[in-house]
Amino acid sequence: MNLSRRDLLRLGGAALAGASLVPSVAPAQTPKRGGTLAIRTWDPPHFDPFQTISYKTHIALSFTHSRLLKHKAGPGVVPGTFPIEGDLAESWTQPSETTYVFKLRKGVRWHNKPPVNGRELTADDVVFSVNHFLTAKGNANAYMLRAVEKVEAFDRSTVKFTLKEPFVWFLDMLSNPHAVAIVAKEVLDKFGDFKKHETVIGTGPWMLDSYRPNVGLTFVRNPSYFLPGLPYIDRIEATVDEDNASRMAAFLSGKYDLGWEFPGTVNRVDWVQIKDTLKQKRSKLQTLEFPAPVMSHISMRTDQKPFNDVRVRHAMSLAIDRKAIIDAVFEGVGAMNPPVPAALREWSVPFDKLGDGAKYYKHDPAEAKRLLAAAGYPNGFPGTMCFTPYGSTILVDAMQLVQKDLKAVGIDVKIDQKEYGAYIATCFYGKFESMTFGPQTGFLEPDNFLFGQYYPEELKNQSHINDPVVADMLVRQRRTSDVAKRREIIYDIQRHLAKQQYYVQMPSGIYIAVWEGALKNYGPNMGYDYGGRLMAAWLDR
Amino acid sequence: MLRRYLAKRLLIAIPSLLIASLIVFTLPRLIPGDVVVLMLAEKAYAKDLDELREKLGLNRPLPVQYVEWLSKVARGDLGESLWTKRPVLEEIGQRLPVTFELAVLGLTVALLIAIPVGVISAARQDTIQDYVARSAAILGLSVPAFWLATLLIVLPAIWWGWRPVTGFVEFSKDPVGHVTQLLLPAAILGIAAGAALMRLTRGMLLEVLRQDYVRTAWAKGLGERVILMKHALRNAVIPVVTLLGTQLPQIIGGTVIIETVFGLPGMSRFLFDAINQRDYPVIQGVNLVVVSVIVLVNLGVDALYAVLDPRIRY
Repeated sequence: MNLSRRDLLRLGGAALAGASLVPSVAPAQTPKRGGTLAIRTWDPPHFDPFQTISYKTHIALSFTHSRLLKHKAGPGVVPGTFPIEGDLAESWTQPSETTYVFKLRKGVRWHNKPPVNGRELTADDVVFSVNHFLTAKGNANAYMLRAVEKVEAFDRSTVKFTLKEPFVWFLDMLSNPHAVAIVAKEVLDKFGDFKKHETVIGTGPWMLDSYRPNVGLTFVRNPSYFLPGLPYIDRIEATVDEDNASRMAAFLSGKYDLGWEFPGTVNRVDWVQIKDTLKQKRSKLQTLEFPAPVMSHISMRTDQKPFNDVRVRHAMSLAIDRKAIIDAVFEGVGAMNPPVPAALREWSVPFDKLGDGAKYYKHDPAEAKRLLAAAGYPNGFPGTMCFTPYGSTILVDAMQLVQKDLKAVGIDVKIDQKEYGAYIATCFYGKFESMTFGPQTGFLEPDNFLFGQYYPEELKNQSHINDPVVADMLVRQRRTSDVAKRREIIYDIQRHLAKQQYYVQMPSGIYIAVWEGALKNYGPNMGYDYGGRLMAAWLDR
Repeated sequence: MLRRYLAKRLLIAIPSLLIASLIVFTLPRLIPGDVVVLMLAEKAYAKDLDELREKLGLNRPLPVQYVEWLSKVARGDLGESLWTKRPVLEEIGQRLPVTFELAVLGLTVALLIAIPVGVISAARQDTIQDYVARSAAILGLSVPAFWLATLLIVLPAIWWGWRPVTGFVEFSKDPVGHVTQLLLPAAILGIAAGAALMRLTRGMLLEVLRQDYVRTAWAKGLGERVILMKHALRNAVIPVVTLLGTQLPQIIGGTVIIETVFGLPGMSRFLFDAINQRDYPVIQGVNLVVVSVIVLVNLGVDALYAVLDPRIRY
């Protein structure tokens, strides 16, 4: 489905994630086995999923490893939604608020490589993997399962999790492609960790055939994959391609079947430049657009003057011309974000339901000046803004526009630009004097956006927020298993936060997912699960 | 005498290498944000950071870490990458040949451009050939390698749907494909160096051509080719050889971008990634190897003077 820019603008903001973006399902065709799919990839720092949060590693392992649960994929899944289905788990029950029991599929076999040599997977493997995930030093993803008290194997195919407290996002965490990849203990015993490429042994649809550092990875079909007949594609050639011009040229000349940027998309600035050429050279390309979950925001020391005055925070939000940012940095196509990004369409509150706080997302410099004067700052105030460019010119442009907008209402911002490592070590964790501007990780569920950023003493509570009303709602949503009720709490949280403006949210860009027309039964979505999205796809060429 | 000179220079190189080792050990650690923070990125708690620092041995005093690393280096062990856990020497061993090959090919291209064009330009001073050659040299010096590389990759893709080979072709699997793949990046690397060398060749040759012994050669009725190639060029080329030695670090520096653009798994890209990831043993190891290569090349250049000009004695 192709949507023009005009269509997108008409849809506007959060509505972009609406039903009109559901990809059309092609008339049923008989899937074909075989073929090689070519994609662009990144060189993983190593292959140990318990030692890195790097997407470079987790994307590679999405082809080779299974999880207990996974996100459904395919053309029928609307991007920005993440329905859960069993991966190694055939079924699961929740006997109590803090207990989950998973029944594993029978006959699942490890890749036929030493030291496991295709032996059958058991519940002990799952218990080992979860315990390793929770205890491995240096696993920055361990927070995802912080609620787990213990995990036990009942028999060869039953695993029981006991949580310390109710945590309704538990199944979402298990489904997340950077949560627990199921690994074999023998591999750890033999190699000491999972860093070497020889350790890439899973139960996933493809097996790692070769790894050439800084060059590429080749995956071949796992003939013993537990879902009969799957995967359809025989071979995945993933090429490390670190230069944008190089990968753009490769895509133009038909060498990649998916868009070259994460997650199978094409950067809009590049898209605008090459779309006409692409129409001529690759007329069968399919595209689908949906909002990106990556959202930048201004964080500020709300525990100190002047940001402890809500009128100052309102003024800051009113000072920002979000439409101008969309025009300037996203080629005129973007999505307005409340506290949960519009990309998470099931959880982001639509602006028409945001209540009184919605008015603070409008551009109104006159009102901003009035509020600053009322707060005792008729001439504004000076401040510093910690920032790192992440190697992105788009981000630098956005930062400059924010600086200009704030200056227009009297807030004289001096940019304190740091190198990435220095930025992460300080400002990203709230260690700054005045303000910080930067993007946040594009999580796939709202809890990470909300709990981490707003709960007192949380690591990513960059704005130093201690709001008992928010804290109470954040805990409540984690304990509310009824999805509709939980959504209402999350909407309420966003309504409250919109009125408080602890962070000033910026708009997000719109992803342009692009894939070769010969690739059938494929549906793009966010996240690292390339393997999951391609598992049931097939090539008609 | 030459041997004694070289031995003396090698001895002098040891303190240089020690100073370089101290610099490459210290500087990456002075950049705010250490490897542990980057490894744990956005999700680390103070306890996790401390635990990982202890696990990697980064919680010990810097002098202790330096001495330990240096003693390992003396035994030929450059340590292990903090990220991949692979021996740095093994990683460098895989990548150094690619960078070395690229640099040598780049230098060859530079010489193939510089010497003939410089000679023609000097021999035909103030003619149309000279103007064209000098203008081309200015252009070659002005055009950044990354821009030229981008154009050479993108434009053929837009016009003809063609782009250079993606992925690295190993020599053992396809020697012709391997060399062909390196030609374009080597040419781009060689252009800027070639332009600088060409201008120097021209300038030096013009100076030599005005000397009395050349006038005598003309008076003797020797042919232009003999005068240029046998009598003049050999004397003019000594400063060019010196410049060639100093061009090597620049060419190696240029390989960082060229390797990235052309997807070549060389050492420069490895170093670039290591700096971004604060992979200290890799940064230290690669820099030490690069410094050693540069010291050795310059030593070779010094030795070459005596070959080019027998009057030079050490």
